[in-house]
Amino acid sequence: MAGKVISGIPVASGIAIGKAIFVNRSHKATLPRQTVAPALVENEVERLEVAFANTAEDLASIRGQVPDELREYSMLIDTHLLMLKDPLLLGAACDYIRSLSLNAEWALEKAVSDQADKFGAVDDPYIRERMQDVRVVADRVQSKLAGRSKDFKAIQGRFVIMAHDLSPADTVELEVDKIMAFATVQGGKTSHTGIMARTLGIPALVGVSRLEDDVNDGDLVIIDGLGGKIIVNPGEDELADYNERAAQFEQYTRKIRRHCQLPAETIDGFRVQVHANIELVEEVAAVLDNGGEGIGLYRTEYAYMNRTALPTEDELVEKYAELASIMAPQKVVFRTLDLGADKAMNQYGDLNEANPAMGLRAIRFCLKHPQLFKTQLRAILRASANGNVAIMFPMISGIREVRQAKAWLAQAKAELRREGFEYDPEMPVGIMIEVPAAVMIADFLAREVDFFSIGTNDLIQYSIGVDRTNHHVSYLYQPLHPATLKSIKLVVDAAHQAGIEVSLCGEVASDPFCVPILMGMGIDSISLTPQAIPGIKRIIRQTKMRDCRELLRKVLECRTVHRINGLVMENIFNAYPEELAFFASLLENDEISA
Amino acid sequence: MDEKSAVNMTDGEDGESLIREVVVANQHGLHARPAGKLAQLAQTFAADVVITLDEQEVDAKSILDVLTLAAGQGAILQLRASGSDAAEALDRLEALISGRFEEE
Repeated sequence: MAGKVISGIPVASGIAIGKAIFVNRSHKATLPRQTVAPALVENEVERLEVAFANTAEDLASIRGQVPDELREYSMLIDTHLLMLKDPLLLGAACDYIRSLSLNAEWALEKAVSDQADKFGAVDDPYIRERMQDVRVVADRVQSKLAGRSKDFKAIQGRFVIMAHDLSPADTVELEVDKIMAFATVQGGKTSHTGIMARTLGIPALVGVSRLEDDVNDGDLVIIDGLGGKIIVNPGEDELADYNERAAQFEQYTRKIRRHCQLPAETIDGFRVQVHANIELVEEVAAVLDNGGEGIGLYRTEYAYMNRTALPTEDELVEKYAELASIMAPQKVVFRTLDLGADKAMNQYGDLNEANPAMGLRAIRFCLKHPQLFKTQLRAILRASANGNVAIMFPMISGIREVRQAKAWLAQAKAELRREGFEYDPEMPVGIMIEVPAAVMIADFLAREVDFFSIGTNDLIQYSIGVDRTNHHVSYLYQPLHPATLKSIKLVVDAAHQAGIEVSLCGEVASDPFCVPILMGMGIDSISLTPQAIPGIKRIIRQTKMRDCRELLRKVLECRTVHRINGLVMENIFNAYPEELAFFASLLENDEISA
Repeated sequence: MDEKSAVNMTDGEDGESLIREVVVANQHGLHARPAGKLAQLAQTFAADVVITLDEQEVDAKSILDVLTLAAGQGAILQLRASGSDAAEALDRLEALISGRFEEE
């Protein structure tokens, strides 16, 4: 007998096997919506007030039990408590009960919907997202109204947490050491659930749309946070198989962490630099712990978002110089502002474009706003006095853009010199290759700069013409598409012909299936999310360059993604049997869609 | 753009209410944590306090209202308080906002 398999998006890796317990289910469909007789109106108001008060009591007690690992979330619980007290929620709901004779549940939903309208009208995406917090609070009250509440303390043993959506407060109520994994219906790659799971070191899946239909409390489930699936009530064989995989994975992670400080050198002596992509100085610890050899991509957008005034030069210098000096002598590559598209800045209303991915973004935006650009260039230059700093410009599509950007950089240098500031006059200047136009003229571009960095996420998106967040077409987003591989090869060859180095900082760099191919191309460095560094370094350390070149040769002859996936699978199976156990499922997903 | 975190104090009176202008100095503006602190502090006073930004007027005691102001760094808030402890409420709220919500 085999269990039912449902799929989701893995946000924290690992395998867990345990009993499913729901923290909350979506109850919108079953929410009672009735009007009440006039005589019962005050009863309804009281019922709602009691539910609010009880929910607040719960939250206050949860707040007192926040374990150390989740201390930062106690602030979110404070926010939820304040929302519970807010007259715009409770007060407005009570008004609805009295004026329209609605039952408590319906009145609360109306008050929530009023807030959703108000939040929906705010331009600031961060503030808009806070609506989720209102929803979470209201859901807790709805559960109280329905008389549903679980005594998690009474549950014996460890369990797997299932939820429609998981708020930090939901998690904190549980005893963290009893939780083996999370799975939620809602949520994307950046939701709290993933962050919490990674903090706790347990697997998690989000976006499991069939969760509420196919899983009941008490079901035995296997959470496969590597392959992105849940097996409900598995058979004996599946259990035995996954028990073994779980043990292997644990052993594997322990082993790769132990070796992550060793250099990424192939068996036959070829060395690749393994750098990290980060956006906050705080992430440096994760970079160093995981064996990162520098920062290959520092995303500078964070300091510009969710604020009205632009950061000042001094403010930026402080941040950049801190990062440069912590990492020195290792390198930090600053990517200049990559705003636009999905990452709009509050103060530039002109970014509400019909087609933002192809609009005024990244270097185009900076060249249009030279004052803003120069402030950042000056800050990066000043930080270069404190460490080993390089700069790169995103979204370059032609030579003119590179020259313009470099002209602003030269002007910034001249100003700093006049003003007596120190900087590294030899600071390397690179560009990101992210659009097909840049690929095709890579040989020309290579003569203008000191290095290339290939941004595969955008390159794949623009090459195949697919928005990977659009679920109707996201299956077309294929890292191993022959066009992607040929593009990367073209860029690497052009760079080496011109005698400059080339790095790759897209998600492809953290994909164990793609890395041997990149090695075969002779990529000089890769840059990836810090947590993925140990696994990738291990792949490289088990590799022979000769085999990578042979794999590349075969792969470049393939005409379909399907065939390439097959070859790569075979390669991984032969060269890295252990990795196969943990990552093969990723490829299976690709194959289904190929 | 190069504004300082200095606070623009212009205590005025408008009928029975006191008015004061304060610049939001912390980096991320009135996001959840500062908005929460602001509402929480405002709730400790008997006085009614309203905040105005770009013609949008909200109740300082409501975290939801304060959040939807979406006030970023550098935004100039007008605080208007009326009631027995209005002056003290303004003093404390101003100290909180100009002190960057004890964040940075």
